[in-house]
Amino acid sequence: MNRVLTLISFGAVLAFASTAALANGNAADGKTKAATCFACHGTDGNSVDPQYPRLAGQYNLYLQQVLHEYKSGQRDNPIMKGMVATLSDQDIEDISAYFSSLPGKLDTLKGHIGGDN
Amino acid sequence: MTRLHMLGLVAATALFAATSAHAEGDKAAGRKLVYTCAGCHGVPGYTNAYPQYPVPKIAGQNEQYIVNALHGYQSGDRKHPTMDAQAESLSDTDIQDIAAYLSSLAK
Repeated sequence: MNRVLTLISFGAVLAFASTAALANGNAADGKTKAATCFACHGTDGNSVDPQYPRLAGQYNLYLQQVLHEYKSGQRDNPIMKGMVATLSDQDIEDISAYFSSLPGKLDTLKGHIGGDN
Repeated sequence: MTRLHMLGLVAATALFAATSAHAEGDKAAGRKLVYTCAGCHGVPGYTNAYPQYPVPKIAGQNEQYIVNALHGYQSGDRKHPTMDAQAESLSDTDIQDIAAYLSSLAK
């Protein structure tokens, strides 16, 4: 019983820690901070060059995760490494809030697989 | 006139290079291949575990980016336990087909 309780509290702490780590930023501030992103990812977050990902409408917390991964080096990309080097956690939250708030062309695969419709 | 000819030649070469650089994928084949992807990428708001973050929306994503991402998982340049395993089973043609289909879904 005790072990179960310990496990549950561990889970609760983990859940709390992971939500606290990725907060929601300010999209208006993000728009200003994202100026350098626009050259590749488009002002509207819908990159025209097919080698760059579309960001508009992508999940806020996914964008934050990716930017942190570029910063830590876990995800290794020479261009993005330089871009995120100067970003604070707050900057990352704001920029992610901005791009995720834009109307985009992205969607989940729901309804798009063979046999679905 | 000569200059015009030169320009035309350069443009033609650039066009040819751009098209031959990546083969056109087969969207219909891609549609079948993404069946597996939908287990995670087809569930709105589905989260990755440890660390927790939503699995990205990939329908409508740009073609070459998808190709690069899957090749990145194959080569180990990009790491994610589930995606490494998924990408490993894909041929280059599969990847082209998946990217062609996903990019065609742009809203």
